[in-house]
Amino acid sequence: MGVDPDRPAWSEQFNADVIQDLFQDGPISRITPQWAFGDSNGKGVRVAVVDSGVEHDHPAVGKSVKGGVVVEYDKKAENLVRYDADDPPEDVAGHGTACAGIIHSIAPRARIYSVRVLGSNMRGRAIQFAGGLDWAIENNIQVVNLSLSTSSEEYYSLFHDLADQAYFKNMNVVCAVNNYPESSYPSLYSSVISVAAHDGYDPFTYYYNPNPPVEFGAPGIDLEVAWKDKQYVVSTGNSFAAPHITGIIALIRAKHPELTPFQVKTVLLACASNMNKPRNKPGRGKPARK
Amino acid sequence: MTASKVTGDNSLSSELKQLIKSIQAGSHAILPRFGDDLLNSIVETAARLFNAAAASILLIDEEEQLLEFKVAYGASSHDLVGTRFPLNQGIAGYVVMTGQPLAISNVRQDKRFNQDFAKSTGYVPKSILAMPLKIDEKVIGVMEVLDKISAASFGMQDMDLLGTFAHQAALAIDLSQRQDQVQRTMLLGLKRLARNGSNLKTSRIEKVLEDTSQIESDEELLALADLFNHISSLGEAERLACLQVLKAFADLSQSNRRTRHGR
Repeated sequence: MGVDPDRPAWSEQFNADVIQDLFQDGPISRITPQWAFGDSNGKGVRVAVVDSGVEHDHPAVGKSVKGGVVVEYDKKAENLVRYDADDPPEDVAGHGTACAGIIHSIAPRARIYSVRVLGSNMRGRAIQFAGGLDWAIENNIQVVNLSLSTSSEEYYSLFHDLADQAYFKNMNVVCAVNNYPESSYPSLYSSVISVAAHDGYDPFTYYYNPNPPVEFGAPGIDLEVAWKDKQYVVSTGNSFAAPHITGIIALIRAKHPELTPFQVKTVLLACASNMNKPRNKPGRGKPARK
Repeated sequence: MTASKVTGDNSLSSELKQLIKSIQAGSHAILPRFGDDLLNSIVETAARLFNAAAASILLIDEEEQLLEFKVAYGASSHDLVGTRFPLNQGIAGYVVMTGQPLAISNVRQDKRFNQDFAKSTGYVPKSILAMPLKIDEKVIGVMEVLDKISAASFGMQDMDLLGTFAHQAALAIDLSQRQDQVQRTMLLGLKRLARNGSNLKTSRIEKVLEDTSQIESDEELLALADLFNHISSLGEAERLACLQVLKAFADLSQSNRRTRHGR
């Protein structure tokens, strides 16, 4: 396997020389990107960005940010977290705005909600991530972008439970895997959609990896992304691959609201750029978008 | 400190001082203090190796929940050391809160906004690579290298290499912090002993410590110490659970003793 030193961990399987050609036959092979998300702009789909917050007035997110919440660790609160309104939403680091900017560039009519989980206390950080995911589940979010995770075994079951709840509430959880090859929850659970980076730039070129836990590869290397204080920076990381898939899911769910999370994953697989189909070869291509 | 030097005329406080001194000397011998010299050397070497204009290490102040510049090398390093800011702010804050490294470069402001960015935030580096300092799963701080001279940005290869440096720095900091903790715990124990038994002479404390018949086995004691050390590195929930179990055990032993004595 060719290993490129300029890639984050987990992304080696999306090196150009090791991407596996996949083959699909039967009814699923008839699903094309055009059917899946062609002409969609993500209108009305509720997307949560669980991160450092989203700068509501950054030009890269347009007017897509519709609300925000800050999840704070609070010993006295139920489940140890407190939810404070974030109006208008702000970003304390820049990372959340980067993710939201990517989602907005792919699904410009999606409704983005900023869920800020970087609190002021180290102790509660995993609890805050969990609280952010819980907020999304309770607020009828359809797609959540989680470019954060915990490697702490202590929280394995808590995140597992939340991932199940999300799945049963018809929510797609899109997780970036760590930049280090270590455990990261919830990104390694089967019910979520885990994403690592490949070195392409076309937002609609993504790959499926038939050897999980990491299932999808999307752009995430040397990308110019939006940042705090109306800035742009160039950055690399699996964190930026996840919002590409989140954006595409928003397009799919706007066009096909009846789809369930596992059907969405099937559609993503069917439309992956390394999927060869008998009828519609090459079975991919950038769809037209309004 | 030898028992023969202890006389009945010595006050308990001076004896305790002697004991504390020997504990400090002993722990210095066992755990050499790394201090800032090693950290300074690590950041300087990192800056040179990565061809970076500056490098720094920030540590978390757990009590205050702040990040503080511990050591810095390169541009404006003297002003930085000691500077503190909230844990959830900026790139360093993001890295400590997520435990994930982050590399950014080519910082530019959106042209549609006219504000003077430099005025609002001061020096803006062109490229940054920030790496969490981790002991097991716990993040204790962050190491940064700034402004790569030979290239526009830091790559993943730099990230891997800085990870090794950060690991070394984290080990040094961890050892140093453990040493402080051992000393604090010993001092606390002695203070309590002094408070609870003011008529207790140090010679008697030593006698107790030397009387191995009171301690069934040193190995058991060491195993217990190891266990406490392990527990202290676990998550808050585990620590609380252990505390509850120990408290329950202590209460049970106490009530058993009372029952026995009451009869």
